[in-house]
Amino acid sequence: MSAPLVDIEGLRFAYPGAASPALDGLDLQVAEGEAVALVGPNGSGKSTLARLMAGLAVPDGARRAIACGHDLLDARGRLDARRDVGILFQDPENQLVAEDVEADVAFGLENLGWPPERMKPRVEEMLAAFGLEGLRERAPHLLSGGQKQRTALAGVLAIPRRVLVLDEPTAMLDPGGRDEVLAAVRRVRAEGLATLYVTQEMGEVGLADRVVALERGAAVFDGRPRELFADLALVGRLQLGLPPAAEVALALEGRRRAGPGAPGAEGASPPGDAAGTGTPGDEAAPSRETGAALPLTLDELVALLAGSDT
Amino acid sequence: MRATITQYVPGHSPLHRLDPRIKVVAVTTLAVALFVRDGYAALAVFGATALAAVLLSGVPARWFWRGLKPLLWLVGLTFVVQVLFAPGEAFFTLGPIHLTWEGLERATFLSVRLIILVVTGALLTLTTPPVALTDALAWLTRPLRRLRVPTEELALMVTIALRFIPTLLMELDTIMRAQRARGAEFARGGLVTRARALVPVLIPLFVVSFRRADDLALAMEARCYRPGLTRTRLHPLAAGAGDWLALALVAAVVAVAMVV
Amino acid sequence: MSARAGGAQGSGSAPKAAAGARPGGLNGPGAFGEEPTVAGMGLRCHGLTVVYDEGGRAIPALADVGFSVAPGASVALLGATGAGKSTLLQALRGLIEPEAGAVELDGLAATDEGFADRRRQIGLVFQRPELQLFAGSAREDVAFGPRRLGWPADDVAAAVEAALELVGLPPAEFGERHPYALSGGEQRRLALAGVLAMRPRLLLLDEPFVSLDPAARRTLATVLRRLVEGGTTLLLATHDVDAAWGLCDERLVLDEGRLAAAGPWAFGDGGEQALAGHGLEPPFLVELWRRLGRPAGAAPRTYAAAAEALR
Repeated sequence: MSAPLVDIEGLRFAYPGAASPALDGLDLQVAEGEAVALVGPNGSGKSTLARLMAGLAVPDGARRAIACGHDLLDARGRLDARRDVGILFQDPENQLVAEDVEADVAFGLENLGWPPERMKPRVEEMLAAFGLEGLRERAPHLLSGGQKQRTALAGVLAIPRRVLVLDEPTAMLDPGGRDEVLAAVRRVRAEGLATLYVTQEMGEVGLADRVVALERGAAVFDGRPRELFADLALVGRLQLGLPPAAEVALALEGRRRAGPGAPGAEGASPPGDAAGTGTPGDEAAPSRETGAALPLTLDELVALLAGSDT
Repeated sequence: MRATITQYVPGHSPLHRLDPRIKVVAVTTLAVALFVRDGYAALAVFGATALAAVLLSGVPARWFWRGLKPLLWLVGLTFVVQVLFAPGEAFFTLGPIHLTWEGLERATFLSVRLIILVVTGALLTLTTPPVALTDALAWLTRPLRRLRVPTEELALMVTIALRFIPTLLMELDTIMRAQRARGAEFARGGLVTRARALVPVLIPLFVVSFRRADDLALAMEARCYRPGLTRTRLHPLAAGAGDWLALALVAAVVAVAMVV
Repeated sequence: MSARAGGAQGSGSAPKAAAGARPGGLNGPGAFGEEPTVAGMGLRCHGLTVVYDEGGRAIPALADVGFSVAPGASVALLGATGAGKSTLLQALRGLIEPEAGAVELDGLAATDEGFADRRRQIGLVFQRPELQLFAGSAREDVAFGPRRLGWPADDVAAAVEAALELVGLPPAEFGERHPYALSGGEQRRLALAGVLAMRPRLLLLDEPFVSLDPAARRTLATVLRRLVEGGTTLLLATHDVDAAWGLCDERLVLDEGRLAAAGPWAFGDGGEQALAGHGLEPPFLVELWRRLGRPAGAAPRTYAAAAEALR
């Protein structure tokens, strides 16, 4: 059992002038090759954690903060971490720097001082891996959202990485672009790269081995996606959505989650449900066992319904 | 492709394929020599060279015309000033206006020289992509680094600025439409009214740009960028035999112009 | 090519009545003052063609688009990015001059008197709120539109307060906040308030749900639902088919500038091959109904209704 790639304990960070810390004693471990999802309401510290892990910010303190063997509490360690930890951001536009796709993919390698003979094959490899060969001389502003994110991802991964952090990479994309990026991420994962995937889309959580939920700067859940969705009280408190399949199942059981803005309360269902699933404020106590059987995908829901029709 | 913004016209001519540093040096040299050396013979030499280069570049004439148009006023002004105020024997007088042959001659000479200058400069910008130009200037100004001038960083700044110009223009367009949808008007009123009307346009543009700068800096650091680094290039500038030949040709032209 | 008239099911010509107070703390349309309802605008366009000039090349953004929207209807404008949704909305609002074709508002043509007034009664909320917010406080920003309409100061103040309430940004708490200090969802709603303060009878929204977290999405959906119930005509451009399914009775499908479908949802008539062919997926509940072997055309619009039907 090898040492974790990312080993963080008690991480603290506060933005200057902020009323409360963004990260308040956060613990997180990521093992080699693991696919971890990171969820939580706005302001829970997800993006802050992502940036700290990539060595892009200075922690206020921690009992331990190691990323790929580099100490994030040390300036040199952070610089080294930037090489081993890649990070893809949410806005496709504001990550592309160069005049065309090929130049942008090479940007990171140029920064590392790679000689051209070494760069060229690596850039070719990245362009091929992300379907960008035909776009190599295209200017960034002429790319679609999905193409921009793929270019950015190619540029991030051109530098050989050991961990990839993705901060809501599909939030600003249309369904086509989202599919492109998710397919790319799946390929990357299949090759064994450890990933930390920050998202608000509960549909994307199911792809991970493990999900960590943050609340006010600390991890309040660390386990399998199914277990998270089973804890309806937590899901409500963190204002996470549920996959549509789970919503239907919940509605079927006449069950409601606790918490404001939770499904079952006002505005829970897909937009347009004027009636809601019942009177708001009427919150049945969620049961953990029932939640454990919540279907997360369409297939599971269909199976569940088929099973219950005897 | 908004070629008009950067004035680069893609192509495969010998001029296009020259090392940009050679081109910058050549054009600068020719421009200086053009103004240092007086005389019709020299002018003819430079003119012929420019013409040959234009033909060699394969860039359609209309692009040179577009580059010249904004400066026609200058050419015209030069012409008029010379004609009116040169000393010499007047052949035509109308009140305070004295037209002299010398004046006419001088005016023509200076105007033609100006035109040759502009065309020579246009040869550079029409056959060289902006990034190549930036690279060339960065390389040529490298000695300034010893004086703590951040030439590499400035070159990168220019490249990034150029990359975002189309984006900014699109955003500007969208902002203006969004505010027009709320009743803003930009084409009405005097100077002050119009200036004030731009506030709801400029503020979002600035805010978006500052946020962009933050995001971009983070993304660049995430790809191991640091100021003061010595960066390599995917396609490094490499001068070949053809480039040195071109430089030699330019030197020859200047030499000829100096002695005729 | 003209699409068949996209009227709402039933008459749809009379504004829908407000249904009283809403739970959850958001005031209903009655907060706007005396008028509990808004007389929604009817719209028709035909032959709408918009061409962009991109460095000498002519790029067709809209090609011969024609459809009609009845007063008070809620219509989804579906299509992938680049299909022309934004262009269409902006052309309807008069921000883009079409190459060909015309728009009629409440039956009035561009040359008729009252057309310009009608045009000002169209609210358009753009996709990126940060491209619209500029003032020092939420109140000031929302007041921009009403002031441009020339309303007296009292009316402006009342409209600002009402609009902020309506979008769930109570003036007492948010009125003096700086727009850029707000979260993404709050900025989205502030931009909407800025448009609602002008009392639009037709509301055009360009991708309002993009990059909103689930809670913000739900809040926004509630606000829009309220507006529709109050009578405002709604044209919602989105690639989020599930959101459209829950909010809108009809849809227009744009594909590379052409109108591929118009009218009420047509699942079950094979009408939704149309969606797949244009880069869109059917709503979850429709897919569920199909998988269960139930008629897709009868798929419910809400989870609650689905649960009801499945019991």
